[in-house]
Amino acid sequence: MRPADWLVMGGALALIVLYGLWRSRGSDSVHKYLLAGRTMPWYAMALSIMATQASAVTFISTTGQSYVDGMRFVQFYFGLPLAMIILSATAVPIFHRAKVYTAYEYLEQRFDARTRALVTVVFLIQRGLALGITLYAPAVVLTVILGWPDHAASVFMGVVAVLYTTLGGVKAVTWSHFQQMMIMTLGLVAALISAVTLLPANVSFLDAVNLAGAAGRLNAVTTSANWSDRYNLWSGLIGGMFLALAYFGCDQSQVQRYLTGKSVAQSRLSLLFNGIAKVPMQFFILFIGAMVFVFYVYEKPPVLFRQAELQRIQPLSDFEPVAGRYDAAFQSRRSAADQFIQARRSGDAALGQRALAQYRKAQGELDAARRESAVLVEKAGGPAGVNDTNYIFLTFVTRHLPAGLAGLVLAVIFGATMSAISSGMNALASVSMVDIYKRHIRKTASDRHYLNVSRALTLFWGCYAVLTAQFVKEQGALVETINLLGSLFYGGLLGVFILAFYFPRVGARGAFYGVLAGEAVIFACYFFTGIAFLWYNVIGCAVVIATGLLISPRTRGTLPAPSGAGSAAS
Amino acid sequence: MKEEPPPILGSWRRLYAAVLGWLLLLMVVFHLFARRFTP
Repeated sequence: MRPADWLVMGGALALIVLYGLWRSRGSDSVHKYLLAGRTMPWYAMALSIMATQASAVTFISTTGQSYVDGMRFVQFYFGLPLAMIILSATAVPIFHRAKVYTAYEYLEQRFDARTRALVTVVFLIQRGLALGITLYAPAVVLTVILGWPDHAASVFMGVVAVLYTTLGGVKAVTWSHFQQMMIMTLGLVAALISAVTLLPANVSFLDAVNLAGAAGRLNAVTTSANWSDRYNLWSGLIGGMFLALAYFGCDQSQVQRYLTGKSVAQSRLSLLFNGIAKVPMQFFILFIGAMVFVFYVYEKPPVLFRQAELQRIQPLSDFEPVAGRYDAAFQSRRSAADQFIQARRSGDAALGQRALAQYRKAQGELDAARRESAVLVEKAGGPAGVNDTNYIFLTFVTRHLPAGLAGLVLAVIFGATMSAISSGMNALASVSMVDIYKRHIRKTASDRHYLNVSRALTLFWGCYAVLTAQFVKEQGALVETINLLGSLFYGGLLGVFILAFYFPRVGARGAFYGVLAGEAVIFACYFFTGIAFLWYNVIGCAVVIATGLLISPRTRGTLPAPSGAGSAAS
Repeated sequence: MKEEPPPILGSWRRLYAAVLGWLLLLMVVFHLFARRFTP
């Protein structure tokens, strides 16, 4: 990190926090602190929704995912626009008319207090666990780049986010998200331009795209129907839609974003904007990863991007032959890439085919050498199955981006972390206050009292996030860990909300046991089958609905009208 | 309660259809993009 990087990063982060705090002044009641007085315009909510989802994991892990596996991860988001349409048409008007503070409050209006409590607990467990992982991601960044210990990194990030979330509530969160998304866009565009301009002078942008495609890194759509394949068109459209329905429709960290809207129309627009912008944004981020891959076709990448693990195996005698094969494969891939470009320009099909075969063979050898190195790490006493996906993009940023730009990209990563954990803290505090404290502990008190409790709970969840981040162990690509965790719980949450919205004859008993059955089946799938995690959302949801219908009386019921007064709307 | 219309396209149904159309377009473009550059 050079002085210019520190300056840009510090300036960007200070701007985000101060702007959020400035816009949040006047949050002096529970209604304003938790729902911004329902005054937010659609564009602020839309960017806040996107910033909440786009944690540091999105930038660190998604680009690395593209580097090693290609762009097929984009299919994971294909179901999102479908979910946005369904939620705009159904959940948004229902939540608005019910005038609730949290999504779970509605469940008591529709079913009973027991179902609301069960779903509240499921949410608190899931979101609480996710919060620690989300905060852990930048600790990985700082460990690699600045040589800071993990603890210092997560404490620093946590303290900054706790500060503005506790002081300013949902308004500070939303307006700081607005700034963060601006800086994220700027940082991403700068990263892509840099990756392309850092290529050798004889390699054009089109050549780079062709080289990425030749290595299978542009596989944005795959139509194979395989239940254990995590990312294909079908799992993305169906599984992704269910995951997005659950995340945006039942997870308070997202529901709270659009509950702050001035009207149903404003909230709907915010979700639909997300439906339009999210897929291209993910495509763009993955494309950056593909361009970083091409950059490393010409600039020799380390055998392992995790510097500590590389240093661990370098003294081993077994490492020398692996490194030798890696060097040879790198040279072979580079020369094949040059020939491939030359053949494409001259139209020499035979040379093109030969170069392509050599390019792919060398890529296979490089991948094999990387796998062998990972085995050596274990032999040398390091972690088993070492995965360096999360380190690829950061290695590129810190070693190759010009001064200032690296700081900007790092500000994007830190800003993204703060945006994700601030939404999480905000939502956990709201649910703890509205669904637990006000519902079960102290049913009547002054608005000032509830405001102070909300602030104290935000502080509590912030400290909880910082503490749990110290115990998170890295498990493969962070983006997958986060989504897997969500998929373990979201099927149950989504199922109960679908029962609430669309099945009038299902009563409280059906909903309660439906959630228990759904969660049991999801965990059985996780422990005993090889089914890809995106399908857990579909399976869990189906089990909740089926169980709810089975144990409900076969008489036709009617949906109760929303009470029209949120329990915390004092 | 009368529904507030969206600021563009006149009705929510049309806006939903436009988002669906956008998704379809993206999938087709991504598919063509992948095919064009994957030998």
